[in-house]
Amino acid sequence: MGGVAAVRDNRRAVTTTVLIVDDHPSFRASARRLLEADGYAVVGEAVDGASAIDAAGRLAPDLVLLDVHLPDADGFAVAAALTAARDAPAVVITSSHSGSDYGALVEGSGARGFVAKAELSGAALEALL
Amino acid sequence: MAGMRALRPALAGLALVAAASGVLLMALVMTSDHAGDRWIPLVLGPLIGWSFTGTGLYAWARRPENRIGPLMVAIGFAWLLAELTSTDVDVLHSVGLLAETLPWTILVHMLLAFPSGRVRSRLERGFLFIGYGILLPLQLLFVVTFDPLSQRCGCPENLFLVARADGVADAAQATQSAVGLAGVLALAWVIARRWREAQAGDRRALRPVLLAGGVTVGLLVVTLAADLTSLNDTAEEVIDVAGEIAMGAVPFAFLVGLLRSRLSRASAVAALIERLGAGDGRRGTLHQALADALGEPDLVVAYRVSLPDAGEGYVDADGAPVDLAPTPGTVWTPVELEGRTVGALRHSAALEDEDPGAVRTVAAAAALALENERLQAELRARIEELRRSRARLVEAADAERRRLERDLHDGAQQRLVALALNLRLARSRVEKDPAAAAELLDESREELAHATAELRELARGIHPAILTERGLGPAVGALASRAGVPVEVGALPGERLPAPIEAAAYFVVSEAITNVDRYARAAHASVTVERVNGHVVVEVRDDGVGGADPAAGTGLRGLADRVAALDGRLEVRSPAGGGTTLRAELPCGS
Repeated sequence: MGGVAAVRDNRRAVTTTVLIVDDHPSFRASARRLLEADGYAVVGEAVDGASAIDAAGRLAPDLVLLDVHLPDADGFAVAAALTAARDAPAVVITSSHSGSDYGALVEGSGARGFVAKAELSGAALEALL
Repeated sequence: MAGMRALRPALAGLALVAAASGVLLMALVMTSDHAGDRWIPLVLGPLIGWSFTGTGLYAWARRPENRIGPLMVAIGFAWLLAELTSTDVDVLHSVGLLAETLPWTILVHMLLAFPSGRVRSRLERGFLFIGYGILLPLQLLFVVTFDPLSQRCGCPENLFLVARADGVADAAQATQSAVGLAGVLALAWVIARRWREAQAGDRRALRPVLLAGGVTVGLLVVTLAADLTSLNDTAEEVIDVAGEIAMGAVPFAFLVGLLRSRLSRASAVAALIERLGAGDGRRGTLHQALADALGEPDLVVAYRVSLPDAGEGYVDADGAPVDLAPTPGTVWTPVELEGRTVGALRHSAALEDEDPGAVRTVAAAAALALENERLQAELRARIEELRRSRARLVEAADAERRRLERDLHDGAQQRLVALALNLRLARSRVEKDPAAAAELLDESREELAHATAELRELARGIHPAILTERGLGPAVGALASRAGVPVEVGALPGERLPAPIEAAAYFVVSEAITNVDRYARAAHASVTVERVNGHVVVEVRDDGVGGADPAAGTGLRGLADRVAALDGRLEVRSPAGGGTTLRAELPCGS
């Protein structure tokens, strides 16, 4: 955990801002608590693809933590839309399924990578950025 | 058949009379002075008369029940009578004058009546009135006022002359021509309409008749128009001769049409029986044989079947459902065997007009063969039902797996994810902030309890452990205790039943109680599971609002398939306001 602390210390000057996109409130709450504890600034939450794209435009976060299964859209399509713009945020896909369930979809979407929900931590995100 | 025996000599007598009259007519015309172009009436007159009587008598003998034959014979004799105008004998000449328009009138009658021999509609009756009620009296008026001697034609005397009135005679003839012309044009319209409305089987018969009739009527129009406009004599004569030649061909066309229209009933049945006897039992053989026997290429054969799902109904030879609603111009005739309806034939309505009872006769002859095909059709329909129900079972299983995946994903899995994140957070705080860590652990325990409860519920939905371990009684008891309304559990089998029966019975009760909770607005429900005559009978009643539609939801449909897969029967009685009873009967030998 020393490594994580070091990273956190490095980042303290420029805190990474995060937008969490998931339709399950329990996950959003847990993720927010966890990431804030790990030194991230959660600047917003969105429950579906449309509001995610809207919030990303408005809040200009450094990072979007994006669930694959959204009520109105496929997370990979949302990732592609989010990363298409200039000054696009980094996108990390997450899911309660394992990353191996999705094969090359993650890479093809323009996302930085995949983190399983149960494996989420500041360090796991840091490794992908 | 006694009628037939009496008919034959009578027809033979008529044939003799026609032959003799024709010969006599020829002799009289040959010795006549006043007919200018003698060979025309000499040859054509008797020939046309004979062609009508000859073909008419043949048609009469072949189809005694059809009136086209007698009408043709009548035209033949009327023609011979009308030809008497060419003779020198006063009385015969006078009779000929009287009969002059009669053959045309009867010809129109026959065109209207073809092929049934009957005139049905008011419009058609209107035509007959114009013919018999207007044209014939006008001819009478003409005859009593017309003096042939005034024509300086060397004609014989008109014995029916009452008072010479040239103006009246001319007016009568002109009116006849005008009315006749209008009538014939209207007739052409009626016949064109009939052609458009005819079924394929009827068109085959109508074609030669309409062709010959059309040519004759066309020439008649030209003749009548010529009468009204007064062409020169040569032109008029050419038209007359052409008209007469066409007229001579008409009866043969009618005969072809009549024999084409349908075989005579007796020979149709004989041919049918022979074909069915030689049949190889292949699908479609019976249909083809029936279609040929009735002269109905568009015939539809429907088999009455009784199916486990669809109940009583009609199917085609492939087992596909057939709609018994009649299409325009067709009717259904039931086929019966030993007092039971085994099928139905859809055929042209004209067929029944033309030869009443013929379809029933043919149907009766084919009933046994139809019964055989019916059993095969029923088998095919049952297989089709089975196939559909099997497909539904697979679909239901797939849908159930999708539902389970979704429930797992949205429920327990989310809770476990949150739990993992909380534990990770607690672990990171346990040293610096033990109180916060303890709070997180409490939350986690609660989350875990929720996840466990959801998994338990899900597992019970897949297959309740209590059913496997303890049997139907305790499982139904548990369902009843969890229900939203009081459920009284009545008789239950004390012993264990085969697992598929127990499962089906359990899910019937489970689905019924779910429906009671969701829709019935009931105050009370009751459940019984009894063994009756080798069956397990499951019954769930409630006192709710009723009106449940088994076809509306997938729940009952899936249940019905599950029960049918065990050769059982599911019944829903749910009158509006009268509560709902769901009853399943499952065969259970042991």
